[in-house]
This record gives sequence, C-alpha cells and structure tokens, in this order.
Amino acid sequence: MNTKDLISMAVRNLLKRKLRTVLTVLGVVIGTASIVVMISIGIGMNESFAKQLEGWGSLQVIDVSPSGGMSYDEESGRMKQEKKQDPLDAKAVETFKQIEHVEAASPVKTSYFMIGAGKYVADANIMGIDPAAMEALGYKVEEGRALTAEDSKAIVVGGGVEFYDPKLSWEMRYSSEPPQVEILDKKVDVSYDWSYGTRYADKKLKATKMEVVGTLSAEGNDSYWVIMPIKELEKLQKARDDWEKSKYGGNSSSNRNQTKEFDEVRVKVDKMDNVQAVQQQIKDMGFRASSLTDQLEAMKETTKMLRIVLGAIGAISMVVAAISITNTMVMAIYERTREIGIMKVIGASLRDIKLLFLTEAAFIGLAGGLAGIVVSFGVSQIVNLVAMQQGSNMTSSIPVWLYAGAVAFATGIGILSGYLPAQRAMRLSALTAIKTE
Amino acid sequence: MGENIIRIRNVKKIYQMGSESIPAVNGISLNIRQGEVCCLLGKSGSGKSTLLNLVAGLEKPTEGQIIFHKKHIERMNEDQLADFRQKYVGFVFQSYNLLPTLTALENVTLPLIFKSVPVKERNERAMEMLKAVGLEERATHKPQEMSGGQQQRVSIARAFVNRPPVVFADEPTGNLDTRTTYEMMDLITGLAKQNNQTLVIVTHDLELSEYADRIVMLQDGKIEKIEDRTKGKGEGEEGHD
Repeated sequence: MNTKDLISMAVRNLLKRKLRTVLTVLGVVIGTASIVVMISIGIGMNESFAKQLEGWGSLQVIDVSPSGGMSYDEESGRMKQEKKQDPLDAKAVETFKQIEHVEAASPVKTSYFMIGAGKYVADANIMGIDPAAMEALGYKVEEGRALTAEDSKAIVVGGGVEFYDPKLSWEMRYSSEPPQVEILDKKVDVSYDWSYGTRYADKKLKATKMEVVGTLSAEGNDSYWVIMPIKELEKLQKARDDWEKSKYGGNSSSNRNQTKEFDEVRVKVDKMDNVQAVQQQIKDMGFRASSLTDQLEAMKETTKMLRIVLGAIGAISMVVAAISITNTMVMAIYERTREIGIMKVIGASLRDIKLLFLTEAAFIGLAGGLAGIVVSFGVSQIVNLVAMQQGSNMTSSIPVWLYAGAVAFATGIGILSGYLPAQRAMRLSALTAIKTE
Repeated sequence: MGENIIRIRNVKKIYQMGSESIPAVNGISLNIRQGEVCCLLGKSGSGKSTLLNLVAGLEKPTEGQIIFHKKHIERMNEDQLADFRQKYVGFVFQSYNLLPTLTALENVTLPLIFKSVPVKERNERAMEMLKAVGLEERATHKPQEMSGGQQQRVSIARAFVNRPPVVFADEPTGNLDTRTTYEMMDLITGLAKQNNQTLVIVTHDLELSEYADRIVMLQDGKIEKIEDRTKGKGEGEEGHD
C-alpha cells in the first residue's frame, strides 16, 4: 500500500467519525496549547529580565578586571587571596580577541576630569576606550554617533552627566534644577584642574578642546560616563601628573596610571548565549570577569521553579490528551474489527494495518498540534495584554522553534499513543474479525 | 483438468472446549486441481467451513500439511500468510463483507490498493470487473444502497479483480433468493472458467453442487465421498501423489 493511499484512507476514517475525532483533537489542542503557553511564559519572563538588564548595558559585554585581590572561594566558603596572574595589558586584550565568539575587546582606563561648556562645568568620570570598538561594545548612543577609529579629540557624553554653574554656592547648586546645556557637536574644555571654572583655577593651564560627537542615553550603567579615546585619556593623565609634580613636587597620587596595565577590559561577545562560556574562559586565564548575564542567570534561577511548575501543568494536559488518543483508537478498533478482518483477508499486510492506525493517530496529533499553536498564539496575545495592563513581567513569547516543536511533539504524541492500538489491530485474527458482527 | 494446485495431507483441526476435544476436521487428504470448480458439500458441523479456512490460511491446522504449489501454508507466519492471500487468493463470503463506507468501485479496488497498483490502472481494472458482473452503473453506490444480489456481485468482482489463481467462496448464496442464487453461481463459475482460475465453493446446498466439477462430500470432519463429475463417476478418497 503506498503512502498516498494510506493517508487518504486514514483521513477518510477520521472524517467518518467526525464528532469523536474532533473531541479527541480538542484534547490535543488543549494539551499543546497549555504546554506552548506555559513554556512561552517561561521564555517571556526570561526575555523581560533580559530587556530589563539591557537597560543597564549590553548583555553581550564582559567586564574583565585584573585579579590579585581577595575573592570568595565557593568550595571552602571563605575569602581567599587570588593568585596574581598575567597583567591586564595590551597583550591580554589581544588574547581576548582571539577567543572564539569574541567580536571586539577594548581596554578601559578611567579617570576624573572637569568638563567645561560655556559658563557651566561638570565633574565627569572619564572612560578611555579603544574608539574603534565603541560601536561594537554596545554603548547606547542617543544622539550623534559613537567614537570611531579616526577620532582623537572627540568625546561622547553620558546623558546623566550634569552641568552646574561653578560660581554658585553648594547650596544653590543642589537646590536648583541642573541647567540644560547644549553640547552636541560643540567643542568643550576638558581639564584636570579640579578648580577649573572657579577663581582658584590655575590660570596658566590651558584646557584641552574636545568635540562632543554624541551623547549616551540617560539610563543605564554608562550614563554617568564621558567616553573618550584611551590614547587621549593617557595623554591627559600624563599631563596631569607632570602638572601635579611641578605644582606639588614629589610623586603624584596616580602612579598606577603610568603602568601598562588597564583598569578594565571590555569584551564584546557575538551572542548572549555565548557570554557565559567566554566569561569562563577568561576566568580560567586568571582574570576576574563579570557581565550582566550573571544577573540574568541569577534571575532565571529564581524563577526556575515557577517555570518547571508551569511546564508540568502543560505536560499533564498533554498526557491526558495522549490517553484520550489511545482511547479513541482502541474504540476505533472495537468498532472496526470486522473492517480490519476484511482488509486482512483481501490482502492487507500486517504493516498496512499497523500503519493505517498509526497514521490516523498521527493525524489526530498533527491536527491538534496545528490548532494548538493557533490557540497558543491567541492566548499568548491575551497574556501579554494583561501583563502590559498590570505592568507585570509575566509576558509570553513564542519563538518559531516552539511553534514547530509543538506541532512535531503533538504528532509524535499521536504516533506514540496510537502505537499500542495499532499493534493490537495488527494482531487481530482475520477469521475472528470477519465473524464479528 | 490441470495439475494439483493445493495438496491437503491428513489435516486435522481440533478445538479445545474446556476438557473436551472437538475435532472439526478429522484427518482429511485431498488434492485440488488447477482450474477446477471444487465444491465442499456438507451439513452444518461437517467441517466444510473449517477446511476452507485452513486451506485459505485463515486458521492453522492442529496436524497435517497444506501445500499450495510448493509452499507449506501451515508453516507460514502472519506476514507470509498476508502476502500469500494478497498474491494468490480471492474470497467471496456469505455476508458479502464489503466495507460499508466505500463505494462499489472503491471496494473492488481495495485488493489492488493493498498491492500498490497505480490509481489509473486499478480504477480501470476495477471498472472492467464491475462491467463483468453487470454493475458498471452502480460503481459510485455504497453497499447499503444496493440489494443483496448486487452486493454479492461487488464482492465477486473484488475477489476476481486481482486475478488470483484460487478463489474461495463460503456459502456465497446463503443470503440470496433462488433466482439470484443461480445468477450468482453462473457468474462466479463463468468468471473462474474464463481465466482458468480454481474455485473452491463451500455449501450445504446440494443444488449448487451442480455447478462443480468435483463434489467433495463431508461428514463429521471426514470426507464421505468424492464425486468427479468431469468423469461422470464417483471416486474414492484420493491417495497421496
């Protein structure tokens, strides 16, 4: 018997008992839909966590810092002295770039300078990075553009950086609204003189002019930073050290800045899913590494139980649906005993009989699966609507693989449920079967 | 008549009813020849239907051998039996045994579907067969829309459509009136003779045996007498060849 005949015969048999077929399919629809919706809520929750964290910064970026401090030892539960490993220098950055899935890596040095724009100034945390890597590192540029390899005297200012009038007293500064200063595409002064803008400022010192090429979002981890090319930062630090030396004599406070070691290295990974693996590799090299995915993992961990329970509820309805398919097929065999006998007598092979019943069961599963994903889509929309109204992060998200997987799973359940009845139909004695009235 | 197509060797079928053993077929040896119409005649309980079931491979004998060409039917497993029925055997039943949800044409194509004959060819062959039994105008009718005689014609068409070497008919006219009975017997024996197919008919009706080349009379699970009408004289139980 060829496949086409088999399928058409199976479908006809199902259509012959419409009501029962529909009821059985309905069971599968409910089973499929509950599994899909439950899983989709699990996925949706994780996605909303990720979205929440995205606000803080890129989930694909790993912050690497030098080791050598104290760290928590998970095995002993005590703090322990980390072994001092390779320095976090240019060589280390190159090593990170060689790791699979790493798209970009940039050294980071931080400092603290004054920014002057007209009569206003800002105390700014300065982050020096490789300007070529800025785009890749996922800084949330709101206006203007990110730094590029060609930039030298250019900065990107975080939306959280607040300007003030240095002529005002402290009280006045804090009691008044911060002024709106238009700085985009304008040149600003960058100075390491902390008295810049006040009457105590070193009049002989000339501030460095830099162009603001972009601004960062006012939200997230980077909003209080001013980003500039690391080369410029190093130049400024050097100049400051010289200036401080000439002014105060002796060693400056920031000797560390003269070393070749970076404060931090930011590593960009191609996909969020690879972050943890890359992070582990960097840790294995002896550096400290952290990323927002650590938090994401922790959040996922806390909701794991909930997701398991949700999945189990879905699974139970699918088990019920599977039993109902088996029941329907067993009933069908009772009803069609004679028919099976006739088919056997006039030349159906055992395989034909078995396949016929398996195909019927598979179609129940397939139909239920297809209708189930349509229902899931609708329920998912409703869940999201309710979640939006209540501001809950219990949203539902159904990826394509879940749709495809659900249909395949439902069909598989159908075949599985049909196996026993099919076996039974196959073993029916032809003679007994045709004698059945 | 041709060579022996089926050889039955000392076949017994004993049913166990509790502690009692009931021999339905009790040591039968018989040769069925290629192209003959062989009638198994006997009263209810004579073992004629059981013998047919054994020969057709629907039941396994308790003892003895049934050889079709050179194949031992009694040694076949379910798969081999299904294959054997598909290739070599056609059936006509007393109760027609048509599938009620299929049309006449579909019922007739069914054996060809199981044999994976392409759609066009099987529809042509089935239609030809329906024409041969005089039902081409009823091709799209379902069994319940037809009379008993018509249903039996469909069932005969189904049994012959695959051109099996042997067709078994178990009380083919048991549910039909006298006039239809003769029509049916003319039809079925005519078709068998046309293609030199072997026809084994089981009946309790002496009149039907008129159509047979040989009449095997059964009683209490044994052959009582064999009448070879082609030679016009009675013959004893046949020996082994």
